[in-house]
Amino acid sequence: MAFIQAVLDGLMIGGVYAVISIGLTLVFGVMGIVNFAQAEFLTLGMFVAYFAWKFLGLDPLIGSFLSFAVIFALGVVVQMTLIQRVLNAPPVAQIFVTVGLLIVIENLTLITFGSDFHSVTTSYQTSTLRIGPLFIGVPYLAAFLMALLSAAALWLFTNKTWYGRAMRATAQDPMAANLMGINADRMRQIAFGLGVGMTAFGGAVILPYFTVHPTVGHQFVVLMFTVVVLGGLGSVAGAVVGGFAVGVIQSVSTLFFPIQLQNLVLFIVFLTVLAVRPTGLIGASR
Amino acid sequence: MKWWIVGAVVIVAAAIVPTFLDPTGYAIRVLTLALLFAALGQAWNIVGGLANQISLGHAAFFGLGAYTSTILLINFGLSPWIGMLAGAAIAAVAAYLLSFPTMKLRGHYFALATLAFSEVLRVIAGSWTSVTGGPVGLSVPFSPDSFWLLQFKSTMPYYYIMLGALVVISGVFVWVRHSSLGYRLRALKENPEAAEVVGVNTTQVKITAAVISAALTATLGTLYAQFTYFFDPEAVFGIIPISVRAAIIAILGGAGTVVGPIIGAFLIVPMEEMANVLLSSRGAGLSQLAFGVMLIAIILIEPRGILALITNGVSRLRRRKSS
Repeated sequence: MAFIQAVLDGLMIGGVYAVISIGLTLVFGVMGIVNFAQAEFLTLGMFVAYFAWKFLGLDPLIGSFLSFAVIFALGVVVQMTLIQRVLNAPPVAQIFVTVGLLIVIENLTLITFGSDFHSVTTSYQTSTLRIGPLFIGVPYLAAFLMALLSAAALWLFTNKTWYGRAMRATAQDPMAANLMGINADRMRQIAFGLGVGMTAFGGAVILPYFTVHPTVGHQFVVLMFTVVVLGGLGSVAGAVVGGFAVGVIQSVSTLFFPIQLQNLVLFIVFLTVLAVRPTGLIGASR
Repeated sequence: MKWWIVGAVVIVAAAIVPTFLDPTGYAIRVLTLALLFAALGQAWNIVGGLANQISLGHAAFFGLGAYTSTILLINFGLSPWIGMLAGAAIAAVAAYLLSFPTMKLRGHYFALATLAFSEVLRVIAGSWTSVTGGPVGLSVPFSPDSFWLLQFKSTMPYYYIMLGALVVISGVFVWVRHSSLGYRLRALKENPEAAEVVGVNTTQVKITAAVISAALTATLGTLYAQFTYFFDPEAVFGIIPISVRAAIIAILGGAGTVVGPIIGAFLIVPMEEMANVLLSSRGAGLSQLAFGVMLIAIILIEPRGILALITNGVSRLRRRKSS
């Protein structure tokens, strides 16, 4: 029973991991760039939702939409000013622009908001649902449902709208997309905005059960990379499956190992997958 | 042979500088750290600059060096000089083993894998409390002024040790670059497929460079531990404080060149230290911020680093004069 409970817990958190990581994989899929600063946008998303709760009284689940909008706009600006310039640069330039961005965002938040830990209080924070012998925390369930909602919305956007199709066309062949009258630069801006916006959204919905501080992103960096590498860098569907897989692996591993080693299991999975199939285990080939 | 003379002059000048400084003062401490990090950037340069394999996990080897020598010193009273060799050996083995999952990886994937590897070690160092002291870290037992135990009250001896380390590692870098290994690395860097076709065993070349770089990085970890007397997992296995800093120092100055990491370190380390002093509590954030902004600026302006910026500027001036 403990095992089933662990799997259930893993699926709940895994849904959120999926949404957080979709952003990373989206950016890679469209531009071929690994955004090392992705986790910092999660931190920013959490801060936006926290301040929306503190000053506007918005529940983080509602504030998450504000997080998405603000960070989407920020992402468009970052794409226009920074990422665009290294699109055709060697990998070393691409890697270190985003690493530089990571350092800048982390320290700007540290300077602006201080190093204190902040958390929100909600009415459902400690509520638990009971299904037979199993338990689900309400904040976990709420975050999970919000995550599914946003993943579904992204799927609709990329598959059913002109913009979504244009974005995927840009990912496949920017030159051909350009010839079809698609502004590839605009599509990249939307892709980067969506990418960091989704991650910020994911950060906001976990705020009811997670504290926010300027370095909270650290806990998610390798986790996000593991999710997308499991699913195949660039594959959105892969990120969803990878998210659930990582959630379950993490949760089940606590049954066998001390909790500090939770992430160790993940890293080993990560390195093994990279070694065996760098293009991902589950994701469809792009 | 001109560069050889220039190098000798610089080394002699660097050896004379501390005689003008207070041997226990702040200035010499900053210079000592700058020398240490220049050496770290140089060790990274062997893999990152010559082989063009962008490692974001050099903290793994740095930390292995710091922990190995300090654990041996605490538990067996073993001299850090011997511990340093042990650490270098362990780091070399670690780099060799790591090369199996990473040898086929390039660019972003290689960076990701090396980053994950250093994180594995950081987590282990943080949880294996009985040996590593856990998140609290380790303190080097205090017994000052012993060359054998590598401890001194004054900063001056450390200055010369770090200078020695920088000279040795720079020497190794120059030697690698001009050896047949260096030419194979350059072929690999320019075009891996073509290198493979003309008979370069790219896998073996990459592994050799990685092992040399890792062993050198570990010796610096030992020196760092002895110099600071205290460290925790984040200080020696941290992504930003060690891995990224090593890479940035080399890239900022000019990756693949011998003076690049030296320029980078003597720019970044004093700047950070100065910011820390001037701005006290908020200094950490601000100096790191400046660090990030500089990194982005140099990548956007001239990804080949400050050295390329200077040489470009000089040649442009010359052209203007001659025309």
